[in-house]
Amino acid sequence: METLHDRQISLKRTFDVSLELMWEAWKNPDHLSQWWGPDAFTTTIHKMDFQEGGEWLLTMHGPDGTNYPNRSVFKEISPMKRISYDHFNPDFLAVVDFESDGEQTTLEWTMTFKTAALLQAVLKAHNAAEGLKQNGIRLQQYITEKLQKL
Amino acid sequence: MVANKSKPIRRDIFQAIADPTRRAIIFLLAVGAMTPNAIAEHFKSSRQAVSKHLKVLVECEVVNQEQQGREIHYHLNSEKMKEIEKWLEQFKKVMENRFNNLDQYLTKLKNQKS
Repeated sequence: METLHDRQISLKRTFDVSLELMWEAWKNPDHLSQWWGPDAFTTTIHKMDFQEGGEWLLTMHGPDGTNYPNRSVFKEISPMKRISYDHFNPDFLAVVDFESDGEQTTLEWTMTFKTAALLQAVLKAHNAAEGLKQNGIRLQQYITEKLQKL
Repeated sequence: MVANKSKPIRRDIFQAIADPTRRAIIFLLAVGAMTPNAIAEHFKSSRQAVSKHLKVLVECEVVNQEQQGREIHYHLNSEKMKEIEKWLEQFKKVMENRFNNLDQYLTKLKNQKS
């Protein structure tokens, strides 16, 4: 049986700072709001309950005045090692790994989109159905059975 | 800016897929067009609940309605579904940008502390 691979985006970069300073820039909302938004965006942090299970609410303000509210829940916080959080709407899991070699700190940030994988499966089914009109009903039954497990 | 004032409820593909019933409907329609009754048969929830979900899917433009004689058929708009790929690309750019900002901010912090 074919397995669904979750869709991931991953970025890795090495910064010229100590691990302590990097951690400070993350855990302190006053710092985090300074770099979180993309260029020309500002960020308001409404709540940042920096502990496992803690809620994290922020709004990114776009240069055209559009607000982008974000809600996440911290899943894992291992000081100076890892931060992971569940982000909602769109749903993804973010894992940020911290690694230090003394002078420099490397961040690896991976986001996993479960529903994106689902959508790819949908598109596949759609394309398959185009070529298999006759088997459509059977395919439909098959997919409906799969649905119960989602 | 004018559009912001009388802004309709923003509907996008993520709202379409946020709900498990809607995801299930999307899966069903991936195979072929269906009438609302045929769709409702696949779910335990009420017909009303299913038609509410269909309404959201239409508003998100993930699903199109087509009148065929006396019946309405729902189709999947697969073009719209492809938007998620574009969105993921944009998201990656936002992330790269965030890394740049973090880099600049850390340099500033470092200089302040030393």
